[in-house]
Amino acid sequence: MPRAIAYHRPSTVAEALDLLGNGCIPLAGGTVLNADDDPTPVSMVDLQALNLSDIATNDDELRLGAMATLHDLATNHQLPSGVAEAARAELPSTLRTLATVGGTVAARNADSVLLAALLVHEAAVEVVGPGGSTTITLPHLLSEGIPEGSLITAVRIALGGESVRRSTARTPADQPIVSATARQTQDGTWVAVTGVADHPVLVDPENPTVGLNPSGDFRGSRDYRCRLAEVLTARAVAAVGGIA
Amino acid sequence: MEITLELNGTSRTLKCQPHETLLTVLRREGMVSVRFGSTSGETGASAVLLDGLLASTEVVLAAQANGRSVTTVESLNVDDGLHPIQAAFAATGAMQSGYSTPAMVLGALALLAENSNPDEEAIRDMLSGILDRETAYVKPVAAVQQAAAVLRGEQAEPFRPLLVAPMTDGVHAVEIDPTDEAPEASPAVPRVVPSREVPKTSVVGHPEVKVDALRLVKGNPAFTDDFEMRNLLHAKVLRSPHAHARIVSIDDSAARALPGVHAVIHHGNVARIKYASGGQSYPNPKPYDQVSFDDKVRHVGDRVAAVAADSVEIAQEACRLIDVTYDVLPAVFDEREAIRPGAPIIHDEADTADIADAGRNVVHRMTAQRGDVEAAFEKADHYYEQTFRVHQVQQCPIEPHISVAWLDSDQRLVVRTATQVPFHTRRMLAPLVGMNIKDIRIIKPRIGGGFGAKQEMLLEDIVGHLAIATRQPVRLELTREEEFASSRTRHPQTMTYRTGVNSDGTLVAQELKLLGNTGPYGTHGYTVQTVAGLRGLTSYNAPNKRFDCEVAYTNIPVPGAYRGYGAPQALFGLESHMEDIADDLKIDPIEFRRQNWTKTGDEMNIAPHLGEQGVLEEELDEYPTVNSDGIEECVAQGARAIGWHRRTDRSWREPADQPHIRRGVGYAHSMHGTAIPYLDMGGCSIKLNDDGSFNMLVGATDLGTGADTVLGQIAAEVLGVPLDDIRVYSSDTDMTPFDTGAYASSTTYISGTAAMRAAEVVRKRLKERAAMLLGIEIPCSIELRDRRAWAPDGRSVSLEEIALDSLHLNEQEQIMGTGSYVSPDCPPPFGATFVEIELDTETGQVTVHHMVMSVDCGVAINPVTASGQVEGGMLQALGYAHCEEFALDEAGRMENAAFGPYWIYRADEMPRTDVFLVQTMEDSGPFGAKAVAEIPKDGVAPAIRNAIVNATGVRIDQLPFTPERVFNALHAS
Repeated sequence: MPRAIAYHRPSTVAEALDLLGNGCIPLAGGTVLNADDDPTPVSMVDLQALNLSDIATNDDELRLGAMATLHDLATNHQLPSGVAEAARAELPSTLRTLATVGGTVAARNADSVLLAALLVHEAAVEVVGPGGSTTITLPHLLSEGIPEGSLITAVRIALGGESVRRSTARTPADQPIVSATARQTQDGTWVAVTGVADHPVLVDPENPTVGLNPSGDFRGSRDYRCRLAEVLTARAVAAVGGIA
Repeated sequence: MEITLELNGTSRTLKCQPHETLLTVLRREGMVSVRFGSTSGETGASAVLLDGLLASTEVVLAAQANGRSVTTVESLNVDDGLHPIQAAFAATGAMQSGYSTPAMVLGALALLAENSNPDEEAIRDMLSGILDRETAYVKPVAAVQQAAAVLRGEQAEPFRPLLVAPMTDGVHAVEIDPTDEAPEASPAVPRVVPSREVPKTSVVGHPEVKVDALRLVKGNPAFTDDFEMRNLLHAKVLRSPHAHARIVSIDDSAARALPGVHAVIHHGNVARIKYASGGQSYPNPKPYDQVSFDDKVRHVGDRVAAVAADSVEIAQEACRLIDVTYDVLPAVFDEREAIRPGAPIIHDEADTADIADAGRNVVHRMTAQRGDVEAAFEKADHYYEQTFRVHQVQQCPIEPHISVAWLDSDQRLVVRTATQVPFHTRRMLAPLVGMNIKDIRIIKPRIGGGFGAKQEMLLEDIVGHLAIATRQPVRLELTREEEFASSRTRHPQTMTYRTGVNSDGTLVAQELKLLGNTGPYGTHGYTVQTVAGLRGLTSYNAPNKRFDCEVAYTNIPVPGAYRGYGAPQALFGLESHMEDIADDLKIDPIEFRRQNWTKTGDEMNIAPHLGEQGVLEEELDEYPTVNSDGIEECVAQGARAIGWHRRTDRSWREPADQPHIRRGVGYAHSMHGTAIPYLDMGGCSIKLNDDGSFNMLVGATDLGTGADTVLGQIAAEVLGVPLDDIRVYSSDTDMTPFDTGAYASSTTYISGTAAMRAAEVVRKRLKERAAMLLGIEIPCSIELRDRRAWAPDGRSVSLEEIALDSLHLNEQEQIMGTGSYVSPDCPPPFGATFVEIELDTETGQVTVHHMVMSVDCGVAINPVTASGQVEGGMLQALGYAHCEEFALDEAGRMENAAFGPYWIYRADEMPRTDVFLVQTMEDSGPFGAKAVAEIPKDGVAPAIRNAIVNATGVRIDQLPFTPERVFNALHAS
């Protein structure tokens, strides 16, 4: 892991932002940061005392505190079942209890099925920084990253319409080579695909590979990933009764 | 900094550094049940309950736990007894090495606190974060179920084998009624198909709890890293970033100047002593192509230098400060390319002898034959030739390699190390560190899995050099990344089978042409390929056979010993080849094999010509024959359990409601070996204690297999006492008798016979002393049972009375016996493996739904540990077939040196796995036993491959069956 030379646990967001402004890096659950073998010395800001782990509904939205763990998501009955299931599938039991939704968003893992589930639920990310609070759409944040010196405080998702995931993996619990998650509402069909870009992306349900240029690896070549994106998108959309 | 946490119910204030993990701090506080598996936490061996939830402590800073509650399994160890969860894990055989058992117990504790009656899915989800290479999760699931029942106040069902009625007479095939179903039972319950030939026994054949269960389930100090040393230094190894390079210079001055560094070693200051690192019998197979530190590196991860320092972090920093100048050379990774003209020469040094052709990178060349295959091919009605390619995978013990060395008060070098071969290690280490064998002591504590990876002298010379240099204890533990890059792996191979067969299905000739890839060093390279030849050409009778093999040097991470040792590779090719021949000849695939398989009374007609002591045909008086087989019964039990009849049911294979799904069942035949004849040797000593109990010392190396338990059962049976009266200790080169070590499926058969012989010596003397006490003239008429010596007239004397008399009262003596054994035989166990798969034709994804293996291992000395061996072996074999692979980039760097990218099966995705133990009586084995540990590795890959053929008609001759490979094969056909 990066060699922590200092550890801070602020109790207010303001304190945390001050520390981030001084070059510290945020520490959420630790499953990514503490697993990193980069030996660079860093000062860490642990966000666990900021009271950011609540999960609450608000009209047709659900607000997931950034420090809510994937275990919290997987076991919370207010969540759409597709999101809860994706949180469970994201990590095994011993890491799910540590990893947070905010950390998952920050990590922008290309294979994250949880991010895909959040995308199809029209997720928006609450961010607070030196200039104040703002809300960024999840696709924008995944594309551009977190503004420097800022913190994710919550992820809001739209309720209504269950999501369904179809995926291809080496084994049933393996992180999919490609997955397609679809959600159908009165307003339309959302499809998010993993394994085809630097991070999960929303795609056109009828032309899911348009604009995609995945890089291949030992689990799947570029062409194969594109092929999977088409097949799995069609299946996921059909499963939610969508347009394909 | 200081942190305060509630540790096992008590508030504790602890000092720690900001970078220290919770794992580090807990272990420093004596919570040794919390164990390292990988820095990224995926193994779960380090899991504790953090605020009541299971969490891997490798990825938690100790500081993050400040103010929180931490529970380790030590919290359950309030007295000598076991918590019901611990008791259930012990009773069901849910642990083998036990390295990760404390994490599983804690997971169960948390789960059952929340849900007193969890379903299997919930239990498997809880276990999903605790990787296990040993049990296939079958018995841990049963343990949690049993614990849940007990905690609900229900009566726990005794965990005992289910006896299954034989379906055959042991010789003839039977027609299986499709409506007949296997007896319903939990997969965890060993299914034993009894044989009338097997005599009744009291301890042997019974599901005894492992003798090391208590220490493992309690998380007591047991493993190499669990014992504290004063003034301990920590070592790290600087490893090569290049696949092939010459070291032009090393400047270690900055590293040496770093405060806290005690020693830096490399090729400039360590003697150049040639050796081969494979833990094998004297004389080790040549060539001796390694040195502790070389001026050339031959794979990414190869050793360059090592440092001993006050902390791991200082040692790491010192490694970074070593300035190495490399002359990077071209590298080659594929064995076929390595032997072509113009390939880079990997061993161009002058001081390595016995390389077959160094200029072509051919380290070994070997042939063996019987009869004339070419002439037979000419005459045969049909000729088949088929080439297969198998890949590189790793053993992945959850406990990485770890060694601790120090000089004792007599200035002898002591190495406590996770090894399968303590005696070989002692002998091989001596010249490297410049000491006599008598001045070296190797201690093997409990080992967290080995599977062949630890049949290697991998770290012991490094810690030995550093301990001698610093005069302080030195510890070296591999990270998971190092484990992948620098420990050992399974040999990739390219193999071609050529077979002549007559139209009636009779094999007349078979040849295996093999090109093995031994990576940069020849360790195990010779013997693994010979075993591949042996297994690949012994399963079936053919009067003409030939093995033609070359072994190539390449620049991949080093292959070595891996459970199965060449057989899984060879039998993937063979069983695929036989399936395809049967298909072409329109003969039922099992019937075709039946016509040709080697069975009782048949010669193993190429076996003597292969191996470390291979002989020529003209030197041989007679060929060894098979003395026992249960293969017909294995096939019948397996076929019924899998639903073999469905293979011809098109409506099942092609479900109408899922047009992209195809289903299939596949079969593979396995015939393995039991130990290496005339080579593997085991020793045992047993002594009587005052209370009539016994200490038993064995050199055999229990890796978690249950070997100590099995050997104890054998001795207990001979001595007429319960297993609890035998205290088994293994192994320590200063104290225990010699044993070649744990490999080649030898322990039960070889060390078990040694244990039986030692016990027989003790039994003889006990009878003589009993005769003295009872006034009987014929000691041999006395019988030992129930801790007593019984005269024919019904009088008896207890073993305790004999002990007190012999140690304290009359003609005092220590009753003790030693035994050793080397076998002239290699009785083969047999197996029938069946799998059911589902295949997505649009994506190539293969899902394995069910695996069944029936094994004839003779008499299973302990059916619970034996079935556990089969289950764990099948999990590893499933990974080999389906998802595990080393992915190297163009420069030879591993792209997936972490669990996750390198995927091993988890609890929440394992297919149902059923095991049947088909008894036969092998007269040459102790109480009828043959081997069981390796044969489960052999059949899964070809059975899956053949199930894919059944499902789709597509033949895939390369492993693993990852989605894109299958997709490409489907769409190429």
